Amino acid sequence: MSDIQKIRNFSIIAHIDHGKSTLADRLLEYTGAVAKRELDEQMLDSMELERERGITIKARAVRFNYKADDGIEYTLNLIDTPGHVDFGYEVSRSLAACEGAVLIVDSTQGIQAQTLANAYLAVDHDLEILPVINKIDLPSADPDMAKREIEDIIGIPADDAPCISAKMGIGIKDVLEKIVKEVPCPKGDSEAPLEALIFDSYYDAYKGVVVYIRVLNGRMKLGDKVRMMHTGAEFEIVELGTLSTFSLDKKETLEAGEVGYFTASIKNIADTDVGDTVTLVENPCEKPLPGFKKSQPMVYAGIYPADGSKYGDLKEALDKLRLNDSSFTYELETSAALGFGFRCGFLGLLHMEIIEERLEREFMLDLITTAPSVIYEIHKTNGETVYIDNPSNYPDPATIETACEPFVKATIITPTEYVGTIMQLCTDRRGEYIDMKYIDTNRAELHYLLPLNEIVYDFFDSLKSKSKGYASLDYEFKDYRPSKLSKLDILLNGDIVDALSFIIHSDRAYPRARRICEKLKDNIPRQLFEIPVQAAIGGKVIARETVKAMRKDVLAKCYGGDITRKKKLLEKQKEGKKRMRTLGTVEVPQEAFMAVLKYDDE
Amino acid sequence: MTNNISLYFHIPFCIKKCDYCAFYSIANQSEEVKQEYFEALLRQIEFFDTNKHIKTVYFGGGTPPILGIERLCALIKAIKEKFVLTDNCEITVEINPKTVDLGALRTLKAAGANRLSVGIQSSCDRILSLIGRIHTFEDAKKCIADARSCGFKNISADIIFALPEQNEEEFKKSVTDIIAMGVDHISAYSLQIEEGTPLYLKRNVLHFPDEDNEEAQYSFLCDILKENGFSHYEISSFAKDGFESRHNLNYWACGEYFGFGAGAHSFYNGKRFSAVANVNEFIEKSYISLFAPTDYEQAEILSQKELDEERIMLGLRTSKGAFIPKKAEETAKRIATLGYGDFENGILALNSKGFRVSNSIIAEILI
Repeated sequence: MSDIQKIRNFSIIAHIDHGKSTLADRLLEYTGAVAKRELDEQMLDSMELERERGITIKARAVRFNYKADDGIEYTLNLIDTPGHVDFGYEVSRSLAACEGAVLIVDSTQGIQAQTLANAYLAVDHDLEILPVINKIDLPSADPDMAKREIEDIIGIPADDAPCISAKMGIGIKDVLEKIVKEVPCPKGDSEAPLEALIFDSYYDAYKGVVVYIRVLNGRMKLGDKVRMMHTGAEFEIVELGTLSTFSLDKKETLEAGEVGYFTASIKNIADTDVGDTVTLVENPCEKPLPGFKKSQPMVYAGIYPADGSKYGDLKEALDKLRLNDSSFTYELETSAALGFGFRCGFLGLLHMEIIEERLEREFMLDLITTAPSVIYEIHKTNGETVYIDNPSNYPDPATIETACEPFVKATIITPTEYVGTIMQLCTDRRGEYIDMKYIDTNRAELHYLLPLNEIVYDFFDSLKSKSKGYASLDYEFKDYRPSKLSKLDILLNGDIVDALSFIIHSDRAYPRARRICEKLKDNIPRQLFEIPVQAAIGGKVIARETVKAMRKDVLAKCYGGDITRKKKLLEKQKEGKKRMRTLGTVEVPQEAFMAVLKYDDE
Repeated sequence: MTNNISLYFHIPFCIKKCDYCAFYSIANQSEEVKQEYFEALLRQIEFFDTNKHIKTVYFGGGTPPILGIERLCALIKAIKEKFVLTDNCEITVEINPKTVDLGALRTLKAAGANRLSVGIQSSCDRILSLIGRIHTFEDAKKCIADARSCGFKNISADIIFALPEQNEEEFKKSVTDIIAMGVDHISAYSLQIEEGTPLYLKRNVLHFPDEDNEEAQYSFLCDILKENGFSHYEISSFAKDGFESRHNLNYWACGEYFGFGAGAHSFYNGKRFSAVANVNEFIEKSYISLFAPTDYEQAEILSQKELDEERIMLGLRTSKGAFIPKKAEETAKRIATLGYGDFENGILALNSKGFRVSNSIIAEILI
């Protein structure tokens, strides 16, 4: 058996919380690639956020050996995939680097929206899919139901799918045996021109960008001059090798079929787009691998330091994050209300939350984030088409011929009892019904066309709360459609607060405007004067509330010369004021911004 | 800063604590303890040396007469012997109408007390009993009449507003009744429901005035007192001309004062400190020494910045106002424009409306 025949490149795909990371950990543990203690300690440290959320944010890969029952020692490359809908493209590139995919289904939950989405992606990439039924140790486990669903819905045989408990370490060997038996070995020719697919990269302070690749054809050697076919950037390979659990194993060459990394003193992570093809400058391959897309932010929001003087710190933090994440973008933005900040682009809401949380946790920043906005396509009367991701740049309505907003095709899987409420939710969010299928007697799969704008606005949270957490969602961009859009401005004490403006469908403007005014009223503390809170479209006020002037704020008693309480109170008050933003003459606490951005149906 | 100082004596004894009271005071104290406390105060007077003159003396509580009228008089005597008092030294004793008879008042007056602060609170007996006061309005009237007959020329009454179970008419009647008694000074506080008090436990059972009602009561109070010749010279204080509490004004002017007794606060030689708020501990400590800063709780030396801030914070409590630093002038102007006071010659002076939101105003000035 040649070396390439002993290689198995595979991914693990699953719906969130179905046990992907746990199975990955167990595979490494079982094959001795890592000791359990190391796993707990080191992997926990590596990305706290991931562990807490139970999702894998960034793809990565690891190579390990497994001596199978047939006596052959196989080389396995596990390519991890991000488990969230925001990272669909990244998932597809990881899958493109594999020949097989382990599809985990939670035996207590059955197939969920992302199970399907990921399974379809794997089918699209012609991967051998190995279903695995997980969590069989739980009392509510129903492995037969899970198998039946896999066969009925995805249409792949699941009769002999291993039934395992990744948590308890049951059935791990069965999974490994399945992988070596059923995942095809890579097909590739080491003598052909180099064709390597980039599926991930990160920035290392000493080595520059470390690029994760799958060699499809050809051979990569130290000192080779390589070209990134889409960006056109050229580099000389400084280091290359394979990926072990916690380190990089240096090698001289990477052959067709192998998964590994290289470095080439690359300073800018944007030169190494996920999905790009690496080839040799001399003797290049004919054309790049298919499926490349420039990753495009879908959601934009302004991020400002709560304390205006921390602008420099925020910039530094964004610079650092960007080193490792080329999918998020940022550029300087100034708001009359919030001062200096950044307009940031994200793949989706989760991506945005992750970046926000990392800024707050890792860089200890206090942030104000403006309402997330999608990109609107505006056809102007002069024939020009502009894309607007910032409400401040929304053109004068008189100059707009047609305004279009992005729509997505959403797949929702839900227990049948919630179908009614979820359909209502989708209708409320301007959804257009496509179809519905019953997966079995208990669950249904709904398809809707939904404006991305509505999804960005906490659709997922509503979906979860309306289905007691059972419904799952996946979506993909569909197209731009003409829509009745308006820019809604919020005025405090007569002045427009630019940071609170947003673009909205006209039919939704009135209730939203009323709700926002109410929320601002409730969240802006009373001040020394009355503050009108207004919402307006164009010059027309469509909602109004009033923050009444403060009536009483006094410490009457300072008994027997005891002024300590008074002083403490004053210190507290001064502290409180520091957390406020002064908009014109009105002081607005950070919570008011937060409250406005949260949506609820009350 | 003037070279004169004020003295405060804290007498933390009561017949019964009122249901809203969160101050340090003990009911039903034995004669032995009172005597020991009295002796401890005498020792503290003995320990305290100052060449500054005494411009005011204030016996507060608690209910000072509960210490014993003779003991109070002995303290006044000791003060007069030990220190130099200014000619017009103001000597105030807080009293509860039920705790002094004509004889007691006469004795106090003879010893040198020249100002009384009487806890009247309301003219409505139903309310007085509801909040745990031990006296009736009749007791209060008799007390004031007795005090006048003994020659007290400077009498202050305490009023509480925003009381539970009281409608607007009852409140108005209460205020006019108290004004009609002919007092010279009125301290008016809105009822605060403090955690840990009996009233706090009843907070959900009793009916309290809402915000609008409370503000209406405050406005009424300010208006009617003004009509009757009282000026609103401090957040909670109203006085006829010349009857301002000089002892309290000293606090607001950042003047020095020394506190005697358990839990008493001092501002002396640039330091703020207070004695332990426990009668027994205080008595024990009095045997050792009392004037080393280490013997006091929360002794703090004020920096110049803190002093400046205190000056503004305390000054804005009074109708004289406070000098506003350059950087806050715009804010001060804005506050005056909003109708909360006057800003002239660098001095911001709040009015009745401004007093009511003074915390916010002070915070804006100082930020």
